Amino acid sequence: MQFAVLQLTGCAGCEVSLLNAGDELDLAKLAYMPLVVSTHDVPEVDILLVTGGIRTDEDLFKLREAASKVKKIVAVGTCAISGGVAGLGDRHDIRKHFLATTHQGRVPRMLPKCKPIDTEAEVDIYLPGCPPVPDLYVKLLNDPGSLKTTSIVCKECGRRKPKDLRPTKLTESIHKDEDPNVCLVKQGQLCVGTSTRNGCGAPCPKAGFPCVGCRGPSNNLIEKDANAWFESLANVFRRMTDIDPEEINEALRSPHLALFLFQFSDYTETELESRPKEKVL
Amino acid sequence: MSTTIQFPISRIEGHAKVVVNLDHGKVLNARFLAQEYRGFEQFLKGMPAEQMPVIVPRVCGVCSTSHHLAAVEALEDAYDVKPPPVAEKIRHLMMVGQLVQNQATSLFFFTLPDKLQATSIFGADESASKDVLGSISKKAMAVRKIGTELIAIAGGQFIHPVKAVVGGVVSGIDKAAAKEMRKKIKAAIPIACSLFDEYWQLSQKMTKAVGDWEGDDPFYYMIAVDKNDPTRPVDHVTMQKSDGSETVTFRPEDFRENLQFHQVQDSFSAKTSFNDLPIRANSLARMNLIESMGTPIANGYLERFRVQFGSPAHQILLFDLCRGIELINGLERADRLLAENLMDGEMSVPVEPRDGFGYGLVEAPRGPLIHHYQIENGLIVNVEFVIPTVHNNFSIERALTTMAKRFVHEDRIDMGLDSAMGWVVRAFDPCIACATH
Repeated sequence: MQFAVLQLTGCAGCEVSLLNAGDELDLAKLAYMPLVVSTHDVPEVDILLVTGGIRTDEDLFKLREAASKVKKIVAVGTCAISGGVAGLGDRHDIRKHFLATTHQGRVPRMLPKCKPIDTEAEVDIYLPGCPPVPDLYVKLLNDPGSLKTTSIVCKECGRRKPKDLRPTKLTESIHKDEDPNVCLVKQGQLCVGTSTRNGCGAPCPKAGFPCVGCRGPSNNLIEKDANAWFESLANVFRRMTDIDPEEINEALRSPHLALFLFQFSDYTETELESRPKEKVL
Repeated sequence: MSTTIQFPISRIEGHAKVVVNLDHGKVLNARFLAQEYRGFEQFLKGMPAEQMPVIVPRVCGVCSTSHHLAAVEALEDAYDVKPPPVAEKIRHLMMVGQLVQNQATSLFFFTLPDKLQATSIFGADESASKDVLGSISKKAMAVRKIGTELIAIAGGQFIHPVKAVVGGVVSGIDKAAAKEMRKKIKAAIPIACSLFDEYWQLSQKMTKAVGDWEGDDPFYYMIAVDKNDPTRPVDHVTMQKSDGSETVTFRPEDFRENLQFHQVQDSFSAKTSFNDLPIRANSLARMNLIESMGTPIANGYLERFRVQFGSPAHQILLFDLCRGIELINGLERADRLLAENLMDGEMSVPVEPRDGFGYGLVEAPRGPLIHHYQIENGLIVNVEFVIPTVHNNFSIERALTTMAKRFVHEDRIDMGLDSAMGWVVRAFDPCIACATH
């Protein structure tokens, strides 16, 4: 089964991650991926993985052309699914200036907004993550049926959540892992692993850094709107800590928080429909 | 009559093309044009400063570690804090991991197919022997993976690492994990050496084909590393003229007085010059300006390199060979770093955020990288990224022009122009996501 990877505007992290899965994938079947293969057009393949968001007219044309040649499309990574980091350029306060300075010259034309790929092509499967870890690619390409990530990051993190430990305020801006065995929420950190889908193996909270939610909403939340997600996180902090709910609310809704890159970044200010959970791996 | 020949360039990071401009069939110049843009310097404005180390790695999935650390260091400069020694070691290891990952990727996945006349290392095409490629690609993947595993144990995540924070790192490296990693490195070193030896052999034929600048015009080499440990960044940038006649150093906060930035209309990437001359950063610059690799096997390769090609050496394709020397050096260096105690002691110092300016300088695989942040009320109001690929842009175009002139004649164009353009670009290992950000 031949497959191809179309790189739109992104950082190539998704491709680098795919290379890491190389031991377990047959990369001789990789018919197109400009990062490591010199073939200039997307060939007819069974599966097309698309990474990056639609940021320029060239991205748009490439995606439309490629979509017509393939059987199945997988949206890979946060940028393809939600616009991701590139989508931060859509913020109202900077958009005008941004477009004014980038529309000149003989370069691909910037589109008014950075768009997720399912606004232009029918997506069969979504593989969220920034980037998705190699193991997810192995399952996706070798045995998609085995990929059931219906739970949350906490399940893979494994830190203890002692009942008697109840922080009364969020930690200062510096992240510090006081006890590598204890849940970061229990250490007063704004970790969103409790609402984020698993499958990544929880590398960040395991290393002592709070989950920023790059895998997107868990199955319980993915078909709901951003408010349900805020509500669920607020509940988690109410159950697990004695931090003033106002403080949590304010911290979560801080509009420029890194986690807004990932969780619901595509739902908060657009009319996009939520993705059906059967299609999200 | 002016015409152009265009080539899309693959096996590099990001979207770029080469355009050769002709007048009546004669080469006027060749251009290297970046075709993507996200606008980091714009959209980071208004974000909380402490979010930078999480967001800016996303500039690039290939060199995310450099951006992660440049951001942390720029904020530490602004807040006037120094990380504890063990945190410095863990960050150093992160950078070494990135060097191994990047040099292995560039060497084996980007440029080796050129040497084997294949479209990729994976053997999907019929032009090269599948068996040869199959065995090389397996070994190459294993060596490359050491780099990403190093980033993962030092940085938490193998891409977009998270463990460096302002004031230190969030956690140390467990002794058992370090021991296990050292075992893997020891097993990988001979494999990496044999791959590199093979690469060196294959390169001999091509080295002749891509020579110096036309007329050997002067330019500057640029580095920001310790002269006896090229994996260790220092607090200043060194510029040296190609004939060795002039050496200038400057601190990251003085980059504006030292570098000229040129914006162009047909590319999303700028170009920098020094004293109005082109710059070469990346592996060859480091190998020319340092004294020693600081590790035995890599030193052996450096000596062999200098005997064979001279010092300084200027041929474009030597960038590739230098990457191999650095790959071996990175593996040896990682083994040494992991032998130290990376688990005990304070991992971070207390930090009091404050407003002001901060500059961070690291040596990314492609050369010196500077991040500058201006902070007001805890929010970013101005950001500048000074990117290694941007320093190389003039040099890339000069080398492309030289190469194009060998293939394009008034009455004909020789076969192989497109591959040759690819060799030149890949020698510089440009990173377009970083260059345009």
